[in-house]
Amino acid sequence: MVNPLFRALVEREIKNRFLGGALSPVWWLAQPLLSLGVYALVFGLFMRAAVPARYGDSFVAYLAVGLWPWLAFAESVTRSATSLIAQASLITKTALPRAFVPLSTVIVTFALNWLALAVIVLLFKALGFSIHVGGILFSLPAWISLFLTALGLAWIVSAAQVLVRDIEGMLGPLFMLLSFVCGIQYGLESIPVAWRDIVLANPFTQVIERMHETYLAGAGFAVVDAYLVAGAALIALLGYAFFRRVAPHVDDYL
Amino acid sequence: MSEILLAIDHVSKTFPRIGRHGAGFAALARLVVAKPLTEGFNALKDIDFSVRRGESFALVGENGAGKSTLLKIIAGVLQPSKGSVTRTGTVGALLELGAGFHPEYSGRENLKLAAALQGLVGAAYEAKLDEIIRFADIGEHIDAPIKTYSSGMVVRLGFALVTALKPDLLITDEVLAVGDESFQNKCITWMERYLAEGGTLLLVSHSLYHVKKLTQRAVWLDHGGMRMIGSANDVAIAYQAFHEAKQAGAKQVAAASDDSALGQYAVTNLRIERSDGDGLTVYGALKSRDGRRPQVALGVIRIDGTPVYGTTSEIDQIELQEDGIGHFKFALTFSDWRLLPGAYKLRAHALDPEGMRLYDTVERDFTVSGDSREQGLVRLPHVWGASNRL
Repeated sequence: MVNPLFRALVEREIKNRFLGGALSPVWWLAQPLLSLGVYALVFGLFMRAAVPARYGDSFVAYLAVGLWPWLAFAESVTRSATSLIAQASLITKTALPRAFVPLSTVIVTFALNWLALAVIVLLFKALGFSIHVGGILFSLPAWISLFLTALGLAWIVSAAQVLVRDIEGMLGPLFMLLSFVCGIQYGLESIPVAWRDIVLANPFTQVIERMHETYLAGAGFAVVDAYLVAGAALIALLGYAFFRRVAPHVDDYL
Repeated sequence: MSEILLAIDHVSKTFPRIGRHGAGFAALARLVVAKPLTEGFNALKDIDFSVRRGESFALVGENGAGKSTLLKIIAGVLQPSKGSVTRTGTVGALLELGAGFHPEYSGRENLKLAAALQGLVGAAYEAKLDEIIRFADIGEHIDAPIKTYSSGMVVRLGFALVTALKPDLLITDEVLAVGDESFQNKCITWMERYLAEGGTLLLVSHSLYHVKKLTQRAVWLDHGGMRMIGSANDVAIAYQAFHEAKQAGAKQVAAASDDSALGQYAVTNLRIERSDGDGLTVYGALKSRDGRRPQVALGVIRIDGTPVYGTTSEIDQIELQEDGIGHFKFALTFSDWRLLPGAYKLRAHALDPEGMRLYDTVERDFTVSGDSREQGLVRLPHVWGASNRL
């Protein structure tokens, strides 16, 4: 049984996404589609980024399966950063369990992006792209490891942001850099050999690679999934420990 | 003794001082390593009392005394810097006007989360929803965003929710002051029924009338510390006396300089015995420089300076008893005087033998105890009769 307070927060979070603006009901799909269009134009058309042969021949499909999970990660952490401040009236005046606030933001962001990519995959399949519907299922460990990492970071930055208000501003450039070195917009083969080992050592590269393998090459579950999920779970636990220390005292600074 | 619903165990709260540019990494690091705050603003100092079931409590004190901070700690919203709070049973909190309500959402949507926060969910919530909306009595506004509400409507909604919860312990900050009179009466009526049915209230109020009416015990907070704890009535009287003395302070400084200008006649002793609802006896001594027999004026005034009654030996045609050359003494008993509970002063003036000029003033404080909720200074004798002449 889901905690009713948590369910109420999640409902609010979903309502926030879909109500408010005229475009809100389609925005959750339209915004990543726009990003997809921009990247497809720049990297696919202008720079002619090559798709590794084992992932088929569609650059747009290659881009899509890496981009949506990444956007879920970056967006959920960025949104969470200001979540405690945004809900100040709720958390400083009621006994709401504070960990729920970033958690609901991260869960809703991931659920919507996972669903959006599932819709896109089915659409691409119908349009005749080389894409594997089974990836919707087999990519789940990779999604979960991204989710747990995002959650751990969200707990840290949301609590830290209350005391150090510059954190949210640092996240944008940091995530942009990260996104360029994990093989979302181009194949890892384009990276000079001298740098390739460093990029491959990046766990995010491994997660995106698993997305490519499951959605594009039709791979099933792999041993590396277990390592990724375990590592991400550790980050989530660390994040929670940090939050437990800091969050009960944020009232003093809100 | 009934069970303890709330135990506040040596609670202190220190707020950090925050500069214009936020707290910074140092403060964050301090929290991460769980190092206690060493300096800051001490909002609460060593608060220690407990609330038993059925024994309603009031918190009184001036603005900034720490009442709201204490309520927040009791409600579990704020963490104490030292000490601990133990709650037993369900706790409902009505802390602040619209606390936890989001301005963009409708009353109905806010109600759902607010109810969930107080533990009212699912079918139980659905079953009570109509009752809540009926109590709030804000009509079709229930589906409009809270930002369009008047402050009175927000309070109505908040209080209506509490009425549905019927918690073991109900914590309310000064929220009732906002509603209009009919809604306030509705709330008071509800609270009285809640108390009669065994509910326990922890109330912050500036209305000493409400304190006396709704609670049995009270704590007076002063600059974060406990200045007094006792029966609601005693605390209310002491607190009221403190305020009235504070207000009267300025007036008295001016008056004092006129009094003992000549010192020809002076009050040398003034002692009160047996002060209660029925009366008191005052013993006093006067000095006369020229040996002539002075007159004495005695008056009872409320602590804020409102005169209740005054008389003189000259009016009553009494001669002070001589007690050696130039020394005179008197004794006066007030009996059956019907003074209402509160803080008073007895004032004695030395007058010249003609009872014309006033030479000296001496005051003694006294308290009339009791737990009456009647208003005013004295109890006027009255009889309720049949109403068939209306």
